Amino acid sequence: MTPYLELRNVSVSFNGFKALNEFNMSVSKGELRCLIGPNGAGKTTALDIICGKVKPSAGSVVFDGTALEGLEEHRIARAGVGRKFQVPSVFRDLTVAENLEVARAHRPGVWANLRWDARRSGRKDIERLAQLISLTEHLDRPAAYLSHGQTQWLEIGMLVAQDAELILMDEPTAGMTAQETRKTAELFARLKGKHTLLVVEHDMGFVKAIGDVISVMHLGQLLAEGTAAEVEEHPEVRRAYLGSGGITNA
Amino acid sequence: MPSKMSSQTGLSRLGAQLAPILIVCAIVFALPLVLNNDFLLNKVARYLVLGILTVSLALSWGFGGILNLGQAMSFGIGSYAMAMALKLKTVPVHTGPGGLPDFMVWNNVARLPWFWEPFKSLGFALAAGIILPALVAAALGWFIFRSRVTGVYVSIMTLATMVVLNLVIIDQQSYTGGFNGITDLAQLEVFGIVFDTYSRATFYLVASCVTLSLLVAFAFTRTKAGLVVQAIRDHESRVRYFGYDVAAYQIFVFALSAAIAGLAGMLYTIVMEFASPTFLGVQLSLSVVVWCAVGGRQSLVGAFLGAVLVAGMQGALSESAAFLETWTLIMGALFVLVVLFLPKGLAGLAHDIWLWIAQRPHAVQDTALGVGQTREGST
Repeated sequence: MTPYLELRNVSVSFNGFKALNEFNMSVSKGELRCLIGPNGAGKTTALDIICGKVKPSAGSVVFDGTALEGLEEHRIARAGVGRKFQVPSVFRDLTVAENLEVARAHRPGVWANLRWDARRSGRKDIERLAQLISLTEHLDRPAAYLSHGQTQWLEIGMLVAQDAELILMDEPTAGMTAQETRKTAELFARLKGKHTLLVVEHDMGFVKAIGDVISVMHLGQLLAEGTAAEVEEHPEVRRAYLGSGGITNA
Repeated sequence: MPSKMSSQTGLSRLGAQLAPILIVCAIVFALPLVLNNDFLLNKVARYLVLGILTVSLALSWGFGGILNLGQAMSFGIGSYAMAMALKLKTVPVHTGPGGLPDFMVWNNVARLPWFWEPFKSLGFALAAGIILPALVAAALGWFIFRSRVTGVYVSIMTLATMVVLNLVIIDQQSYTGGFNGITDLAQLEVFGIVFDTYSRATFYLVASCVTLSLLVAFAFTRTKAGLVVQAIRDHESRVRYFGYDVAAYQIFVFALSAAIAGLAGMLYTIVMEFASPTFLGVQLSLSVVVWCAVGGRQSLVGAFLGAVLVAGMQGALSESAAFLETWTLIMGALFVLVVLFLPKGLAGLAHDIWLWIAQRPHAVQDTALGVGQTREGST
């Protein structure tokens, strides 16, 4: 089976620092893949490469048969890649409903969106989404008033609204309470299968709850791949996490 | 049930946003009934035109996040388009063969330059006054936004472009009238209506354009494209990762804003009866920013009223010798005060007061209830 997403020998360096060094990874369709690794391993950079925020100096990124590495960000997004950022990124002056509406980018062109009916069609979907992310009561309030966890959920909801085939999540549970994290894990389980997810996460409890296959990165390279139990027993992984109290406390 | 409720709030929000525009436009149309003085009406018409110009800046700055310090460039282009057409309609008094404008005769120009030819058609001029600024803005926007220039650099580039055009117009005296501008114009005549600057017809023309500009700008902000533009203002890169071509949206709002400014420029020529390089000067362009900030850049009506009030005040004060020189100082102080204490301008202040009034009855009820409870407790 050909992989749905494949990064082949991807390298990128910032001022001489090799954030990714001949990095290889492949993900198949409908999978929920977790990407873990010590600080500075290059996890966020890997997501940046896929969504076009950073251009690789060498190597290729192929998604569903399309080479992504030369495309502009909005073209990559139109090819079916959605991205959630580490720092929650929403439109603070717009209401929650408006945030979700912007995310419904099925027709991204300027002229198509000048039509009066471009906004009317989606209200039902937006209300359903708001229910999914527990923000129904906040629909008509500016996003600036949301709590940190709610803002995280709003951005996750925006990615669901975008309906991208491949969703890249960078630390989606950062700053969430245990209860919020559990709810997020449930939400991810529902997304799995319909979407392909690639999740960067530090919280091993969360990773074990959601992930099938875990990829471990270290120094810009893929170190190990397998189930949570396999990865934890892997000698190289144990060495990489040495001194930081092991993988679970990273 | 929830969907019905929310669509109702959606409608009432539309009404709440549209009502101030309609009220202000109705007042503008009613002004001739109160001000029975053609000279005064002409002055008010001038402020109204500057109001349209400020609405155009609110669209690009307040909604699009693009602080265009060269907004007067579009205004000036519109103004010159109208002036060129009206100049070619003047009865030749000082003119040479073929109705050559007087200043060209003085500068020994023998033939009408090629770029003046199409302005013999009034229809062309009226279209050009709107389309030309939009095209220039789109071209400039293409360079700026495709290269992902943002923030203060956009302001510097727009300001610099305007200064260059201003200098070219002053320098090319034989084709543009130079420092003097284009004066001694004919009166605009469309469908048999003569728009004498001191006539009611001109005032109603300006009032109609005020309404049109406010409604067009408002309609745009209500479309999804308008929403995406506001999203870009809040978080540009986030919008990009949803698949929107951010530069295309920025170029569009930049050009739409320029088109409205061009319309204002054409009206200004009709009201002032000349076109001058000062119409695309730095002082006017920066004044527009102050008016916009004072009125409230995220409110179209606010920006419009900000311009009318401050420009009107300026007009009234600068008639007395004491304020003629100090006016710019007052204006600067006003800007600093607004930026410090009213970041959303007068429109934001009005909104806060409105909310305060709307919530007061509940507050009164609550305290009454509280008093009742304590009484019960004490007895």
